[in-house]
Amino acid sequence: MAWLIMTLVKYPEIKYLPFYTFSTVFRIVITLVISVVWGVSFGVLAATNRAASLILTPFIDLLQSIPILGYFPLVIGFLFALGPLGVELSVILLLFTSMAWAIFFGVLGAIRGIPTNVVESARSFGLTGWRYIRHVVLPAIAPTVAAGANLAWCDGWFFVIAAEYIQYQGNIVPPPSGGLGYLLAKAAYYYKDIILSSVLLLFITFIVLFFNTLTWHRLMERAEAGTFKPILKMDLSGIGKLGVKISSWPPLGRLRWPKSFSIASQRLRKYSHIERILAVALASSAILFIFYIYIVIGKPPTLGMILQEFNKPPAGELGSLPVLIGLTIGRLVIAYGISLVVAIGLGVLAAEHKKAAAVIYPLYDIGQGVPILALFPVMFLGLNQLLSPRMALELTCIIMLVLDMIWYMFLNILIGIKNIPTEIKEVGQLFGFKGLKRITHIVIPAILPSIVTGSILSWGTGWNTIIFAEYMPSSEPTIPPLSVPGIGSLLDKAGYEYGNTLLLVFILGIIAAVVLLMEGLVWRPLLRKFERYHIEV
Amino acid sequence: MSVLEVENLTKTFIAEKANILVLDNVSFSVGNDEFVCLVGPSGCGKSTLLRIMAGLETANSGVILFHGQPIVQPTPKITMVFQLFGLLPWKTALENVEVPLEVLGTEKEKRIRIAQEYLKMVGLEGFEGTYPHDLSGGMKQRVGIARALALKPEVLLMDEPFSSLDELTAKTLRELVLNIWRDPELPTNTFIMVSHNVEEAAYMADRVIVMSPRPGEVIGEVKIDIPRPRTKYLREPIYFKLVDEILELLEKGKQARAMTLEQRKK
Repeated sequence: MAWLIMTLVKYPEIKYLPFYTFSTVFRIVITLVISVVWGVSFGVLAATNRAASLILTPFIDLLQSIPILGYFPLVIGFLFALGPLGVELSVILLLFTSMAWAIFFGVLGAIRGIPTNVVESARSFGLTGWRYIRHVVLPAIAPTVAAGANLAWCDGWFFVIAAEYIQYQGNIVPPPSGGLGYLLAKAAYYYKDIILSSVLLLFITFIVLFFNTLTWHRLMERAEAGTFKPILKMDLSGIGKLGVKISSWPPLGRLRWPKSFSIASQRLRKYSHIERILAVALASSAILFIFYIYIVIGKPPTLGMILQEFNKPPAGELGSLPVLIGLTIGRLVIAYGISLVVAIGLGVLAAEHKKAAAVIYPLYDIGQGVPILALFPVMFLGLNQLLSPRMALELTCIIMLVLDMIWYMFLNILIGIKNIPTEIKEVGQLFGFKGLKRITHIVIPAILPSIVTGSILSWGTGWNTIIFAEYMPSSEPTIPPLSVPGIGSLLDKAGYEYGNTLLLVFILGIIAAVVLLMEGLVWRPLLRKFERYHIEV
Repeated sequence: MSVLEVENLTKTFIAEKANILVLDNVSFSVGNDEFVCLVGPSGCGKSTLLRIMAGLETANSGVILFHGQPIVQPTPKITMVFQLFGLLPWKTALENVEVPLEVLGTEKEKRIRIAQEYLKMVGLEGFEGTYPHDLSGGMKQRVGIARALALKPEVLLMDEPFSSLDELTAKTLRELVLNIWRDPELPTNTFIMVSHNVEEAAYMADRVIVMSPRPGEVIGEVKIDIPRPRTKYLREPIYFKLVDEILELLEKGKQARAMTLEQRKK
């Protein structure tokens, strides 16, 4: 213990720890409040007003399909002009983009999910306008908002680490009020001290878990009472029903994932043509707008100017763009494959064996509580002691992706297994399905829709993580940053190293296109295909 | 000669650390070729009783004998039709009928032939390749019946098989089930059906066993001696008299439970 304290006090920044903790927590709380207010008001607006929905929904959908970490360099470019306040604002804005969309879509889904009979009876008793919203809509969305806020809270911790350690044109620009993310990054990148960074990582994990148990659990319980459908109950107590006493293990992770998965599937399911056209129009005008702001300030844009911008570094790497995209997708595929196999194994094991569940649940709780981005520098430091920097980064990247993706898969699979109706299980028993036959004929087909939902979510989060994980910022301007080739690191280079906003927007557009293409070619058809697997009860 | 004998069956469930008695010392027997209905208010344990017969659950005490042997696990000799059909959504109608045969080790060609034959028998010719998702409720239950019969069981258990169907569909399917029961070609002769529909029970069964509210006990039984086919007796006093008899027994069971509750309070 004394040794540990001795190791830590060497660093001048450690005395700011309480203050930094406060500013990080405060930052997340502020952003959470803004996100909830924004998400609820716009969600209610979009759900109750058709015209608003036509404009808002596709636009927000587009915004959220761009990996959040991709905004980073872009936002920085605009806000840094404002000085120290601008840095604080950009951190909050970045956090906002990681929190707000989920709440918005959660609210939208919850309002659309209010049973028709409730809507009709409310109308027939004369509840309209504000009264309708107050007595029907708000209570109906309360659990979703609570759950969405919890999700946003966790996402906020995920991103704050990256947001507090911003690089701009080769320089590190921390927010003036500091933060835990900044402290950790400094320990890992600047001091390269694995003990200090591990301790900080543990501290951050502890803070996340602490708030989860303290606040969210209560809030969720309260929100659960008085809803139409036991949205949360099914998922939360469903796991408890396995025989593991809820009180016997820290009830943390169960909070993180409410029914908001269905947001993903809802989003992917049906789109009218009008909405699609509007989305495309909005996308192109948004990109044009950014071009406009960037280029036109002062000067009229000419083709020559655009080309000139494009020729600045790292534009030279654009020639190998397909290879870079391929490499990034390759990493994602490897990590996804590992996550899929392990998650199915763990999910089936946890659902079928109470003893295994008693081990896997706490593991899950802690696993999904660790802010993955905070783990990044620490893991790299550790692996770098065994491997060459390139190999260490490559491995860190894949491990991070796995750690990020696996819990989405696991939880969805577990819920899928838990939700197999009793009758289907009885049919299996009655007609003699046993062992492997039962798994292949009953369990796996029954959870295929959940696997697809989990996959959509894990690929979404995977794209975010990989932009972060392919690139290792350097501690000093003299040492070049480390990166593995991929479209994620190209984006980071364009943004952080060279400040080439035009190229940045271009790469961002390409990533968004790849993400949307995968949704359209892989996930949407799969989701539609497995829709008929849905068991009606 | 009795096929099934239920002897002093008792079953408790554990819910939230409290033992809930669902079946209290239930005894009766079912003869060969008999069509028996179990009638009782919801929650009286009649579905649980059926599941113990199917080998899906075990009793706490007492035993169910099938040809003198206790039932400990599911057997192809006793199959079941479910209230919500219990079809596997990821299999076509044909595959749903075929899969239990596969488990028994029947070879591919033979089991497809059998499945086709039984689907035809329940009137689903031409729907072999359709997924449950695209079938109506009545058609789903037809698949459920075909699946249960394809194993050539001796006993067919039915757990409120018509209660999630509309009345017209239910009526058609009741006739289908009665025809199957009467069919001398089929080895399935003993039918046990759980229902909470008194008219349905009086129309279909040879004998109606009436159960009390939870914990379920046998209150009495009514022998239905209306000649078959019974369609023409549905407006006759003899039918109404039997329906009333069942209803009286149900009322008696309700009062008996209310009395035990009061006694417990004292």
